Amino acid sequence: MTFSAPEENTLGVVVGNARRAVGKTARRIGRASAHRASLGTAFLGLGAAILVGLRAIYGVSWFVALWGVYPQPLAAAAAWIVLGAVIVGAIVTSRVIGDRLPDWMFGLFLTGLLVAVALDVIAVWPLHDIGRNATAALAAGMTLLVVVTLRGRSEILIAAGVLGLGLAICMFLDAPALPDITVDWIAPQITAIASAVLPVVIGVTIVDSFRRMVQVELDRVLVQSTVSAPRYAVGMLASEELARLDLTAEELLESIAGSKTPLPLAPKMASVAASLATELRLHLIEGRRETWLYHAVSESEMLGKAVTLADKSSLAGLLDPIQRDGLLAAAWLLVGDTITSNANRTVSIQVGPVVPGEIPVPDHKILIPITITTTGVARNRVDPSIWDALGRVGKYSDLTQDSSLRVDITCFVDNPADV
Amino acid sequence: MDLITKERDRLLQRTARVYGLSFTVVSLLCLVLPGAVSTTALLVSLPLFVLIGIAQFRMGISRSGLWVAVTLVAGLGILVFATTIGDRPSQAGFAALVELTAASMAASALVLTSTAPRIAALIVSFLVTGTALLVLTSELQWPLRTAGVYVLGWVLPALVAIWISAGVPQVAKRINSIGRAHRAERQASELEAQRRQGARLLHDTVLATLTLLAHSGVGVSPEALRQQAGDDARLLRQLRMGGNPTPTAENVGTETSPVQVVDETVLGTTLESVKQRFGRMGLEVSWHGTGQVLLPSQTLDAFLLALAECLENVRRHSGVTQAHVTITDDDTKVRALVTDAGVGFNIADIDEAKLGFTESVVARLRDVGGNARLFSAPGSGTTVVLEVPRGEPGA
Repeated sequence: MTFSAPEENTLGVVVGNARRAVGKTARRIGRASAHRASLGTAFLGLGAAILVGLRAIYGVSWFVALWGVYPQPLAAAAAWIVLGAVIVGAIVTSRVIGDRLPDWMFGLFLTGLLVAVALDVIAVWPLHDIGRNATAALAAGMTLLVVVTLRGRSEILIAAGVLGLGLAICMFLDAPALPDITVDWIAPQITAIASAVLPVVIGVTIVDSFRRMVQVELDRVLVQSTVSAPRYAVGMLASEELARLDLTAEELLESIAGSKTPLPLAPKMASVAASLATELRLHLIEGRRETWLYHAVSESEMLGKAVTLADKSSLAGLLDPIQRDGLLAAAWLLVGDTITSNANRTVSIQVGPVVPGEIPVPDHKILIPITITTTGVARNRVDPSIWDALGRVGKYSDLTQDSSLRVDITCFVDNPADV
Repeated sequence: MDLITKERDRLLQRTARVYGLSFTVVSLLCLVLPGAVSTTALLVSLPLFVLIGIAQFRMGISRSGLWVAVTLVAGLGILVFATTIGDRPSQAGFAALVELTAASMAASALVLTSTAPRIAALIVSFLVTGTALLVLTSELQWPLRTAGVYVLGWVLPALVAIWISAGVPQVAKRINSIGRAHRAERQASELEAQRRQGARLLHDTVLATLTLLAHSGVGVSPEALRQQAGDDARLLRQLRMGGNPTPTAENVGTETSPVQVVDETVLGTTLESVKQRFGRMGLEVSWHGTGQVLLPSQTLDAFLLALAECLENVRRHSGVTQAHVTITDDDTKVRALVTDAGVGFNIADIDEAKLGFTESVVARLRDVGGNARLFSAPGSGTTVVLEVPRGEPGA
């Protein structure tokens, strides 16, 4: 085994820099996001495929009805054959491949659509009214929905935009002589382009929102596991780091034992050993354990961005699972209202300090005051279920401070001295 | 309400907003074409379009049915005004009205499928709007054809909403199972961290070796350091493989089978490893007294750590290369006397905390019910007495 220098210093996490921890989680989630982004979208993709199929049937029936008026019905028929092949091919491929369409397949798919559109436009060109007579060209837009879950949103939107623009240019070039351009000619062109492009835009919106929903929900569920953590915990990140430090030390020692690293050590290696010893020592101090709330905030992408935590005496660890769940849900509801684009929303949670004697406290209990101060959260904009969540933590009173919500909770917990 | 249900509603609301607004724009574009409808009708309709736009925008944020109602009422207003005021609408005006009723207003169906009252509202709106459309535009196009487009326009968003609602519980189920797996992983990693942190004796010798290496291993023979590094690496590997290794002089041969967890360990073998370690670093440790004392592992850990700490102090500060350790035991206690003939010091002159004595030696021993005492004078060496109870800590 040869020794390679540690990739990064772990002390940043040790001193409680939550941002680095967040970045790490984000990286980890990013690694897994290829898998996570596909969570549930296969079902959406199936729905999209059914819609595209129905749209194609609708288009084909118009095509059959218009057969008599086509100057070149065979070109239109060819357009439908190509489009049908593309639709069937894309649906089958997407069912087989599942997650992501390779670039060359996507290129093939777009080429097929282009051919179908071109053939259909050629078929109806002499009629000078593409909007009312084109069938396959318009259905081609919606066909993009088959791959909406398999490619990036921008790619799909650009393809739809190019299609809409191309159709508009064709309509313009193919316009009849000026006196024949009436509003009754323009309106069908507008609706035709809309029917080709808008379903794609809506489909992309749905898939995007769906992915975001899954992401938020995953983040929440992962953080939720802190509720059952012990009073003090090392946390997922630190325990990983400790394992990694042990491994690094093992590799270093082994490479020395196996004479792969010459003795006496070069100054660079010596300083590596020194920092390794320091980090290992810090990781082994039991006092480095933090409460569940700290881990929840630092491990969550959403909470980490907006929540600051002040809990000097680590009192949050004393909360029982129900109280923890309530507090976490409240923080989540305050931060997680992603629909409002209010980015400067912040929440700060202050736990403690314990001030004895103000309020009568039941036997074997301690009173922990918890204060939640926010910025940018209007009292009447808060999700009503937050009050229920706060009620699970303890008795609360809310007021508006600097035009933002502030909540004071009196929270009774079991006295650890009596347990 | 379930948080994921809330998220689902938001998703549908956002979709309804994009769906509705985009078709409202298309409808407006057709309506403002000159001659689509009479000028008066257009002027009356424009504020209503603005109203629909606002309502559909709010629909994306608010769950309230108010905005759906505003959209539908304003839409019906446009339909009535455009068809009854002034001339009959042209084909362009008719196209605008179809886009409005069968697409823009129909987008409301997305948010009207979640509860029974909402579904009822959906059916009523569908019927009222449809009837109005068919009656008012019967002269513009064959009503059956209009009806076909209209029904399709409303069924589509309703189906989309139902499809998404059906997909959400599946996803929620999978997300929850990921959450459960994560909880188990968190517990496991917590236990793992505790196990690693608990392997104090092991980490102590690893840290000692690393500290030597930090000074480039100067002052220690390379062979000795290599051997020490090899021993420590083997222990770390055992820890990694899931064992609970304790440094001993005889851990050769245990490589394949991790050292078993035992409640009590014979003191002698572990003392031997401490002696070897210091021997490699240039301090000769002479052993006296009993070597066969059994101690609970926790007590043993603390005892050995304190002992190693004292020997380290001798190595660093005494100026001699020999130390004597005398182990004695009686029914209740095990005692170690660490003595050297070094320079010694005046206890009053030296801050105990500076030596790390209080923290590293006394605190460790008190943890397990033991104690330590320090005797020294300048020029006459130093003696440390370490005491730990034989039985379980606190017993």
